Amino acid sequence: MTPELAQRLVAGLKDAGINFVSYLPESRLSDIIPLIRDDPDFTMISTCHEGTAVTLACGAALVGKRTAVYCEATGFVQAMYNLQSMAMQFGLPVLFLISYTGSPGDKANSLSFSLWGRLLEAQIRTLGLQYRVLEDGHDLETRVSDMAWAAQFSKMPTCLLFTGEFTSFPGMLRRDRNTNATS
Amino acid sequence: MERIDCLKLLAPMITDELVCIGIAGVNWEWRYLSKHEGNMTVGTLGHTLAVGTGMALSLPNRRVIVLESDGSSLADLPVLTTIGTYRPPNLKVFVFDNELYSGSRISDPTATAHNTDLERMAAGAGIPATATVRDVESFGVQARAAFAEPGVRYVVAKVGEGAAARKLPRPRIDYLETKYRFVRYIERTEGITVFPEQR
Repeated sequence: MTPELAQRLVAGLKDAGINFVSYLPESRLSDIIPLIRDDPDFTMISTCHEGTAVTLACGAALVGKRTAVYCEATGFVQAMYNLQSMAMQFGLPVLFLISYTGSPGDKANSLSFSLWGRLLEAQIRTLGLQYRVLEDGHDLETRVSDMAWAAQFSKMPTCLLFTGEFTSFPGMLRRDRNTNATS
Repeated sequence: MERIDCLKLLAPMITDELVCIGIAGVNWEWRYLSKHEGNMTVGTLGHTLAVGTGMALSLPNRRVIVLESDGSSLADLPVLTTIGTYRPPNLKVFVFDNELYSGSRISDPTATAHNTDLERMAAGAGIPATATVRDVESFGVQARAAFAEPGVRYVVAKVGEGAAARKLPRPRIDYLETKYRFVRYIERTEGITVFPEQR
């Protein structure tokens, strides 16, 4: 992800009123971590389990914080129980920032990620949650704000999915892929 | 030691604290004893401690009391590391450990009936003030310290099964009513708006 996109994404969260972010770090969107952590307008809480991050955010939402959970696609699956039995059961607004690992444009895609990339959107649709897929920085601030407010008004989680094109995370070079394919 | 005797000791100490309540027996007994508006019944396995921690990290001016069970605590052990990392000084945790999944009807043992020690796990995760108590007098000492002293505190109270709780009247309110009652209490006492106005 370019530094400019990282800054715009964090600025968009701030403009949308998000002030509590819990997370388990991953690789593709991680440039946002120091920007959020070093901004006194945010409370940023690291966890060792995405489900815990969701429930922490639910507790924060109950006392007035505007919350986001940052994770990758695998972490969204890990958090499914907490998402359903806390955020959805109680009707609490949580904005998910999901690094779309295993998306078709993910240059670091591999067997470790492709399953989750294939399932992610279907899982979100099954839950009935609103989501948007972001492939570039076009109108980024508005799209972040819209989804944050959608969470607030529906009192339900909403999701922003950041594809490989958005994160432009360097993966295997094309020639390496070809080498692997012929070896 | 019976759980309800600990809760009877704790209930009169509550003034403006936020109280997060776990699943089954501790929920039924606390709701029977306390009509405090700051009660937030989580009532789902594995969430109460993280909900309380999220509240404590977000509202550092308010004392947050968590009333949990052993089975539910074991379902979210990762949160102990978050508490150990941030050590919210306003978070006070009481785990009522009957060493059973009492809700299983056959009282199947939890891991704490065998070799697992929740207090040592909490201490190992970095929570500085921990204790295990086995009588009401010792529980009272820990409860009073939780209210008098700053700093995160994690107390495991070894209790009997508490099967009598099954005969108590069950709460008639659902998750949403629980949420709104709690949120209105927060809005009134903190002077904030939790949920935005509807357009």
